[in-house]
Amino acid sequence: MSSLPLSGIRVLDLSRVFAMPFCGAYLADLGAEVIKIDTHHTEFVDTTRTLNGPYPDNEPGEDYYNRAGTFQTLNRGKLSLTLDLRSSAALDVLKRLIGVSDIVLENFTPRVMRRFGLDYANLKSHRPDLIMVSNTGYGHSGPWSDFGAMATALEPTHGTGAFMGYLEQNAEGRLVPGSIPNKIANSYTDFLASWTAQLAVLASLFHRARTGQGMWIDMAMYQVGVSFIGEGLLDYAFNGHRTRRLGNRHESMSPHGCYPCRGTDEWVVIAVRDDVEWHSFCEVIQQPELAKDSRFADPITRHQNQDELDTIIRLWTSEQSSHHVMDLLQNRGVPTGPVLNAKQMLSDPHLRSRGYFEPVYHPDKSDLGRREYVGRGWKLSDAEIRIRKSAPLLGADNHYVLSQMLGMGQSDIEELLSVNAIGQTLSGAVTPTSVPLDRQAELGWIVEYDPEYKQFLADVENRDSCQESR
Amino acid sequence: MTGILNGVLDGIRVLELGNQISAPFCSKLLADYGADVIKVEPPDVGEETRRMGPFVGNDPHMDKSIPFLYLNTNKRGVTLNFGTSTGMKVLTRLIVRADILIQNFTPSASAKLGLAFPLLNKLNPKLIVTSITSFGQTGPYRDLAATDIVTYALSGLMYHSGDSDREPLRNALNQSFYVAGVNGAVATTAALFQHLSTGTGQHVDVSTMECLASHLVQAIPYYNYMGATKGRRPVRGAGFEELMPAKDGYVIPSVQGSQPWSTVADLIGLEELQCDRFATGSGRIEHGQELNDLLIKGLAQWNRKALFQASGERRLVFGMAQDAGDLYQCPHLRERGFLTEVTHPVAGTADYPGMGPKLSEMAYKVRRPAPLLGQHNTEIFCDELGYSREDLAQLRALGVI
Repeated sequence: MSSLPLSGIRVLDLSRVFAMPFCGAYLADLGAEVIKIDTHHTEFVDTTRTLNGPYPDNEPGEDYYNRAGTFQTLNRGKLSLTLDLRSSAALDVLKRLIGVSDIVLENFTPRVMRRFGLDYANLKSHRPDLIMVSNTGYGHSGPWSDFGAMATALEPTHGTGAFMGYLEQNAEGRLVPGSIPNKIANSYTDFLASWTAQLAVLASLFHRARTGQGMWIDMAMYQVGVSFIGEGLLDYAFNGHRTRRLGNRHESMSPHGCYPCRGTDEWVVIAVRDDVEWHSFCEVIQQPELAKDSRFADPITRHQNQDELDTIIRLWTSEQSSHHVMDLLQNRGVPTGPVLNAKQMLSDPHLRSRGYFEPVYHPDKSDLGRREYVGRGWKLSDAEIRIRKSAPLLGADNHYVLSQMLGMGQSDIEELLSVNAIGQTLSGAVTPTSVPLDRQAELGWIVEYDPEYKQFLADVENRDSCQESR
Repeated sequence: MTGILNGVLDGIRVLELGNQISAPFCSKLLADYGADVIKVEPPDVGEETRRMGPFVGNDPHMDKSIPFLYLNTNKRGVTLNFGTSTGMKVLTRLIVRADILIQNFTPSASAKLGLAFPLLNKLNPKLIVTSITSFGQTGPYRDLAATDIVTYALSGLMYHSGDSDREPLRNALNQSFYVAGVNGAVATTAALFQHLSTGTGQHVDVSTMECLASHLVQAIPYYNYMGATKGRRPVRGAGFEELMPAKDGYVIPSVQGSQPWSTVADLIGLEELQCDRFATGSGRIEHGQELNDLLIKGLAQWNRKALFQASGERRLVFGMAQDAGDLYQCPHLRERGFLTEVTHPVAGTADYPGMGPKLSEMAYKVRRPAPLLGQHNTEIFCDELGYSREDLAQLRALGVI
């Protein structure tokens, strides 16, 4: 087994929130040394340290900015250096650090980077082979380039909502393509940006190895989002079609949909691809006569009569558990699966067997103990890619970075401390008040609360150990 | 630029085998970065996407599939039936000179086709093989049947798509496979970079389910930090920052960012909105219904695009619902050079969407449209592999190409 692909590569992660921090986390997983440029001043701190939570047992605690679960996921594997960029001494430190780093990730507005003298043109003169990702809502050029952006507003703007939405009833009571845009989970665009940035960075590293050249990567999340629905634009260009909102149906397959199962908010999806699967399906639901029913016997009429068919299917699935439906239909080779929630994901036998959720042991100070985090969607046979350490405590690596990487002496470090340019405690921190979980469930912020979750997760862990020792 | 002709991955040879979206999108991305991608399709019928609509002019012709046209720009195409021993010999000659092989057959289909990694590794120890599947090469779901909606459901992501008062909702345009494709490209490029130091190939195992699950950065800790199950969005109208109707479509008003509420109220231009009640987040929740009604009234005077423009100028972060026509005509995307005119010999001419990022040292180019079936058979089998024209005719007669 070789060493990691990005061993010896140093990344300065100036970014905040979701998209670029997650990119930095994956570069850390790949073996890079990733320094998160944090700040210990509340006004400028990465909001995932302070706003989103979730906190262990919903208790933020005084040290809450080191205990937020989403932050921990997005920043695993990194070091933390706090720098108050309003201080010229801190800005100098940053510039020196850039001089000894390979990659910079940032998502400031173009104005801000210029103001700090950290725009690419400037940095390139100090470090000609720098690879830099600048991620913004609309990019560094074009009529909208100064517009701010935020993922929830961005997704409909880049058009995914044109191609997803519930069906609606027409005047005759038939279900027809819908008119209301919808969205993919939460902040889908952030992840598209993260994957896209990772690819751009890795390709640029390859390019630099062959040519010695750096790269500036100007990412407009808006443009990135559109590049994933390119097919839709061509359907407009060639055919004048503007939207395609089919609910859970498919252009050609039927039945195809999401059906309710026994339990609260339990659903199963079924996709029947051809007549062979259709016959198997009818046998499984113990209505073989449906297969020859003139409404459903051939794929074209079956597709036209989905309203009736879906009603029949719903009656059947409502009596079953979603996992049972999957077992029955997958045994016959029919594509089927339950709509899993997070709890079911954490205990899913396939994901456990794949080691998808990776355990991380946290420093005592944050009192997080052992937690599991999402890994990544791929494995390399020649490198063991995994989360190598927890997300950093605020400013935990100040001394290490300043003395080991920049060779700063004790008195210089103390100078930075004295002007409050660096620190390890969030100044002006106000522990957030948390809304009790049963109240959150009442308000509809969460679906439900499982007070036995620790036992549930311990049981999952135990089952894993039993499997391993076989 | 020092000696790099086409792009960052100039000179890197990629073989693409497989169907539909995930492998084609993965190798399209590598092609966009300049790699030399050869797409291998079954003779006569071509790859499955050629039969997927929508079609240009609703004509279901194998060169008029819109998904195919989009996914296969910048690639050369050959036909090959490598299920025959003769065909496998030809494929071997392609494998031996390739740097990367991208495929998305299921693990069992892949093994039956003679594409199991140990075999490929023996043929070419330097080859990076990227296998993109629904569930990965191992594990109890390995051989399950799956489509986009099934993978999406099992990934945990679908649970959070749609509205909280009804069933979860499928994603747009087969996004599961696009997410798998881009992750495949990431992992492949990581392996390519590693290859510079090690000189050896490796197997890249991409699981679509796990790629999508990696979006769950909130939902997973919500459960394993505090036992809470996050769900889908509350029904429309329950708060600010949701889709709201303007005169000619939907907008998403937002107060995130540094601007105070008064700027938002001022922009919309309805005096009743300039009220302390709405100035805080908790206030907007508490008086949600009243706010909702006033917003509808205020936004009814605005056209989407004018409001979006005005909000951007005031450094607010509004969004607007756009459709394919809006995007195709978007002045911002056009100015950034995102769309490129492409002429295809059968499908005709249109402006195609291009790369997501803009790179300083590489200009995105569409060097060629999606290939016709077997378009580059002669160029690749004869000019590059050394088969004679007679060999080619014989391979054709045998149904190998």
